[in-house]
Amino acid sequence: MKRHTVLPGFGLTLGVTLTYLGVLVLLPLSTLFLKSAGLGPSRFWDVVTAPRVLASYKLTFGAALAAALINAVFGLLVAWVLARYRFPGLALVDALVDLPFALPTAVAGIALTTLYAPNGWIGSRLAPLGITVAFTPLGIVVALIFIGLPFVVRTVQPVLQDLEAEVEEAAASLGAGRWQTFRRVIFPAVAPALLTGFALAFARAIGEYGSVVFISGNMPFRTEIAPLLIMTRLEQYDYAGATAIAVVLLLASFSLLLLVNVLQWFGRRRALA
Amino acid sequence: MTASVAGLDRSIAVRPRARSTSEPRVVRWTLIGVALVFLLLFLVVPLVSVFAGALAKGFGPFLRGVRDPDTLAAVRLTLLTAAVAVPLNLGFGIAASWAIAKFNFRGKNLLVTLIDLPFAVSPVIAGMVFVLLFGAQGWAGPWLRDHDIRILFAVPGIVLATTFVTFPFVARELIPLMEEQGTEEEEAARVLGASGWQIFRRVTLPNIRWGLLYGVILCNARAMGEFGAVSVVSGHIRGVTTTLPLQVEILYNEYNFTAAFAAASLLTLLALVTLAAKRWVERRREDT
Amino acid sequence: MAIQVRNLVKRFGAFSALQEVSLDIASGELVALLGPSGSGKTTLLRVIAGLETPDSGDVLFDGEDAIRRDVRERGVGFVFQHYALFRHMTVFENVAFGLRVQPRKIRPPEDEIRARVHELLGLVQLDWLGHRYPAQLSGGQRQRIALARALAVKPDLLLLDEPFGALDARVRKELRRWLRRLHDDIHITSVFVTHDQDEALEVADRVVVMNEGAIEQVGTPEEVYDHPATPFVYSFLGDVNLFHGRFEAGHVQIGESSVRAHPGGSVEEGEAMAFVRTHEFEVVRERIGNGALPATVRHIRALGPRVRIELDRTDDGKMIEAEVSRAEYDALDLRKGDQVFVSARRARVFVNSD
Repeated sequence: MKRHTVLPGFGLTLGVTLTYLGVLVLLPLSTLFLKSAGLGPSRFWDVVTAPRVLASYKLTFGAALAAALINAVFGLLVAWVLARYRFPGLALVDALVDLPFALPTAVAGIALTTLYAPNGWIGSRLAPLGITVAFTPLGIVVALIFIGLPFVVRTVQPVLQDLEAEVEEAAASLGAGRWQTFRRVIFPAVAPALLTGFALAFARAIGEYGSVVFISGNMPFRTEIAPLLIMTRLEQYDYAGATAIAVVLLLASFSLLLLVNVLQWFGRRRALA
Repeated sequence: MTASVAGLDRSIAVRPRARSTSEPRVVRWTLIGVALVFLLLFLVVPLVSVFAGALAKGFGPFLRGVRDPDTLAAVRLTLLTAAVAVPLNLGFGIAASWAIAKFNFRGKNLLVTLIDLPFAVSPVIAGMVFVLLFGAQGWAGPWLRDHDIRILFAVPGIVLATTFVTFPFVARELIPLMEEQGTEEEEAARVLGASGWQIFRRVTLPNIRWGLLYGVILCNARAMGEFGAVSVVSGHIRGVTTTLPLQVEILYNEYNFTAAFAAASLLTLLALVTLAAKRWVERRREDT
Repeated sequence: MAIQVRNLVKRFGAFSALQEVSLDIASGELVALLGPSGSGKTTLLRVIAGLETPDSGDVLFDGEDAIRRDVRERGVGFVFQHYALFRHMTVFENVAFGLRVQPRKIRPPEDEIRARVHELLGLVQLDWLGHRYPAQLSGGQRQRIALARALAVKPDLLLLDEPFGALDARVRKELRRWLRRLHDDIHITSVFVTHDQDEALEVADRVVVMNEGAIEQVGTPEEVYDHPATPFVYSFLGDVNLFHGRFEAGHVQIGESSVRAHPGGSVEEGEAMAFVRTHEFEVVRERIGNGALPATVRHIRALGPRVRIELDRTDDGKMIEAEVSRAEYDALDLRKGDQVFVSARRARVFVNSD
């Protein structure tokens, strides 16, 4: 039973917390929902189902999903290698994985665009193969892979490290091969973390703007992501339209993060059992 | 939304494994090889290309790019923004973690979830809510215009949007840390006659200092590098309301690639310093 | 300092931690609060310290109301169960803390603080550890440092929460004696919480036995051990056998045997619980009278001067634990499986009237 009564400062700190949270976060966010509510259901529906908007949603969610899936695969691999193997430069590589967290998105955007442009280092090598990355949906996926990678690695890695060696030894002593041990013992143990990392990367990718705008080319119906469309509407002073698009986007990322919460709650419960 | 962006990245020492629980050499090196090639392509090459782009035409043009008055103004604005946003969120983080970790009250879980909220908001939307509040058609817009106060397309708007985006960083670090440390030491200090401020400064703060520094480092990196949210509220007035990331965009869109990459290389250096500092703090924390 | 506790009530949600608890502690006494976990003993200690506010009731220090006094102004030294040493401070700074946070006006000068800290470290015999950090100390050393820290501010009352709970058996025994001696030297009113009966009986002047938020009995160790006031106290203190039977005409009928008993009070007859301590049995090979129960020897542990014997009752198969001296054991020449008769020299009987 926790009971903390003698420590001072509860009223003051809670007051500061609630005020700051209210003024800086809740009040501004509420304007978004109020504004879109003022739109009325039918206009709201018209805005968010306009062909150009629908195309942007399809692209945003599709590219985000593709990037998150690729990150789930390679993120698991990277986490495995970092957690289990020793090789020269391990510490450096481990530190570098956080680069997408630390590098401003605009810098990532221009760097990737320059690399993958038809005359860039990578783009010029892919062009003869008939692959264009920059200014296509593929480019958006590349940018989102960059942004999302650390989410998967950093959720899975600690779980892999904390996995008890005895469990694997037990599997081996019972006659399981290495692959069987991975599939039946290790993978089920990291699966919740992997799913969490995937959801975090997916949620981040849905809202991503800075790294994508440069490489996408921003052609309506083809490479225009939803956050960019919001930006365009704002620049045209179409606040109502922008809000409606934003509300849909926001609800999508909220539900994803809610899913993450449920997953973690579930994981904790299983850890306690 | 308890999953933390900032809290994920901890590293624990790799322990060697017995043969029965490791893979054959070939498999091991294949997996390492694939992982390294992937990281090389997606992380190292972009990182190197920033500096390559900045120095493509030699050192002189690079220096000219860095010394450009608009770029220097952008650096100053970026520093100013971080200098306001980081201390604000630091103060908030300390207050929130004290209330949440040291006391029990109704709605605590909801509060923790709400603190994480800005992580779930697209940067563009984060900027947009301030346009809805303070824009010409916004709620406070007419009043602000009558009183000749500029928030949007001015420095206050940039600071506000940045503070919003970096809001959870420090709190997210401190809440689990302080919860883990419990309240016994604070209670002991109280019994020995320490005042609230003395308890915090002499007992709590030394115990959370590395977590605090960690949060500040992450918060600062994001504050200096934020692009989407700031882009919405800035108005892109050169030399006045452009932060360094926005300056990179402007130069790039003008096809002034060398100058764009020169400015970008400053931000990349900041990112590398952040990574090094982060790693250093992690090490110190493991030691204590 | 003398302490009076009057009708304390404390609830945590639906859980009643203290129900109308009253207690007097004389100045200079060393008192143990003994009980199982959840008995309210730690809550009572924390209420006295001011770490917990009661729902109702009073705490008086030397006759003065202490409830409304903040924990900082109560002048108590509190030793936490897990020591709560400040992990980032050296041992020296830990002990000095209470002096350093005093308001400038009454704070002693630096050399006085140093002298006092060294004096206390000497008292707990750890003067040579001043520069170390808590993490570098053993459990027993941490415990003594926690005590030195609590004593540094010259408290009028020393409160210790499970002071030896986290230590291993050997260190516990040493520290126990050491605390007793320390108390004999400095004579500060002290209250400690424990769930270990040996600890309470060996160290304390008086023992307060608690159960389910209420006080079952208060008395010297001899009183509570030899004259338990309630069935709970009997079963909690010492190894004890419980028999259920009917009390009639001054005897309890246990199985086919009948044991003479003086339950006290005016109850004439009813269902009774009879408690017999392990050493209060007599084990014989031949039945004498009708006071003995037939039983089979199941297990013998013959270590040291006392021999423990586990027996199965012949009538209902329930186990009896008895303890006899080495000499008795040798005279009996017992083997596993032997048939014997067990009789109680003494039994404490609690009768429920019909």
